[in-house]
Amino acid sequence: MKNAIPTKVYSLLLPGLVAMVTFAWSTTAYSEGGVLGGSGVMSEGDINRGATSWSNNCGRCHEMRSPTEFRDDVWKPIVTHMRVRAGLTGRQQRDILAFLQASNHPRAVKVSLGDSAPGTGLSGKDVYNQTCIACHGANGAGAIPGTPDFTRPGGPLSKPDDELITNITVGFQSPGSPMAMPAKGGNPDMNAADVHAVLGYLRESFGK
Amino acid sequence: MKFICNRFRFGAVAAAIALALPLNAAADAAYDALKSQVEALQKQLQQVQETLKQQEQQAATKEEVQEVRQEVAEVSTLQSEWKNTDSVVHLAGYGDVTYSDNQGSPGAFSGARFNPIFHYQYKDLVMLEAELEVAVEDDGSTEFALEYMTVDLFVNDYLTLLGGKYLSPLGQFRQNLHPSWINKLPTAPSGFGHDEAAPVSELGVQTRGGFPVGGMHMNYAAYVGNGPILEIEDGEIEAVEAEGRTSNEDDKFVFGGRLGVTPWPNSELGLSLATGKVAGEEEPSATRDYDVYGADAAYKWRNLGLRGEYIKQKVGSSSRSEAPGSARWESWYAQAAYRFVPTKFEGVIRYSDYDANISEMSQKQWALGVNYLFTPSAMAKLAYNFNDGESGSPADDDGFQIQFAYGF
Repeated sequence: MKNAIPTKVYSLLLPGLVAMVTFAWSTTAYSEGGVLGGSGVMSEGDINRGATSWSNNCGRCHEMRSPTEFRDDVWKPIVTHMRVRAGLTGRQQRDILAFLQASNHPRAVKVSLGDSAPGTGLSGKDVYNQTCIACHGANGAGAIPGTPDFTRPGGPLSKPDDELITNITVGFQSPGSPMAMPAKGGNPDMNAADVHAVLGYLRESFGK
Repeated sequence: MKFICNRFRFGAVAAAIALALPLNAAADAAYDALKSQVEALQKQLQQVQETLKQQEQQAATKEEVQEVRQEVAEVSTLQSEWKNTDSVVHLAGYGDVTYSDNQGSPGAFSGARFNPIFHYQYKDLVMLEAELEVAVEDDGSTEFALEYMTVDLFVNDYLTLLGGKYLSPLGQFRQNLHPSWINKLPTAPSGFGHDEAAPVSELGVQTRGGFPVGGMHMNYAAYVGNGPILEIEDGEIEAVEAEGRTSNEDDKFVFGGRLGVTPWPNSELGLSLATGKVAGEEEPSATRDYDVYGADAAYKWRNLGLRGEYIKQKVGSSSRSEAPGSARWESWYAQAAYRFVPTKFEGVIRYSDYDANISEMSQKQWALGVNYLFTPSAMAKLAYNFNDGESGSPADDDGFQIQFAYGF
């Protein structure tokens, strides 16, 4: 019979469908979003996790695009498209979007050292590991092209504290880097104490 | 006695007059000073009055302030609406212009291509993606093609279900690296072009997504589609057309997928498999086995990007075909690209080896290139290809290309 389902198709299609439905059902319990609803409570994207996901995934296929290249509303479909392309999870999508949207208007984040940001309440090391490590790397040598090497003699850490504090606070464009570091690394929660703490960690860990 | 009195009276009057004269003079001076002060005050008062008048003319009334507040509120609402709509529309894409000069043919501006990509998204639930290719042909006519069009349904955070015409998820180059602003060289690796070793696209349904495993991340894609068709001519299988088609003459589907893992940041290892049936367009009943195997790897470390890929398509024999024998198309490449930071120059080297079913299509190629990245998505490429194919065939001709590509 012409329209009969071939044995091979049947043998593959049915288990495939069963596997897919099972996978969808089982993973939805751990999901926050999607048409099946998930937990029903979709959390906001996390800027720090987003910075790490952005740094760990995007440069694998193409050059890193600066967050300032697009507006908030434009980044949304771009990141959704990249979720499909790169096989990211919904949470990674939301985190990366939060990071890009927080980092594409540095002036909005730019504040004086006496600002009223709540502060992270973290040590300099923890601030670095959450906010800075995505681009600067665990060893301070830089994780993406164009990021300055903190460990290099005569490098960024040869500058005086005042200059570095200003650079961290208001953002900085390194020569040759495809993108500027956003104000406070894109983390608006950082206050003056955080900036001083993270600079102390940089000097202690990479400036020797 | 009277004389004395008169004299005394006269003296007293004279003395009084003498005393009064300086007092009068002092009173005049005080008067003048007072007058000057009054005049100065009058001037100042006039200035103040003028200033007040100007301010009254320039100052906003309470009503005007209220109007401005209302306008700001309206603009703020509009701005919020603009940014927070349920549906968003976005246009992306890329284009390129290419000059080629190969040994066997005269140099020519050989390509002008525009690939708009449309995104329509509803919340985080549904997205429609479509890419067109608009390109100039040899004869000056314009090619217009649908590269892909899918409706993506985000089932949950780990699973996306999509249907339509999609780029083949087998391997990396065809689905993620072929856009000219991403590809580090003006040409595709040997065997990764259309109708060669790597499947280009498929029409059907696909599930894809990712999930964390320990400290790593895994991604997957699984699909079912109509499958490719064979180009058979003069008793020989010339090519396998693995591009999405709306027809399925052999009444058999192809199943396949890819599993990828990212063991380290900016790295990925992937395995691809597909299986099904295939037949020639003119002989749909002469079906034969169709299988695809692939593996790919990529690693980016600071300024150095390394990647490689292997892909093989093979078809079995069919006694009912005018070309009864089996056939295979196999290719691999390895590529390194290094960015000379802080300059915008980049060096690229790639080796690819394509083994086609028709020997004159087979090619081994060394490609060397220098790129200049104006921006992360706009680059000029200069490349030279050292080709080794069947003697006398186009596959054996060396050539160079200059290309400007821009992704937006």
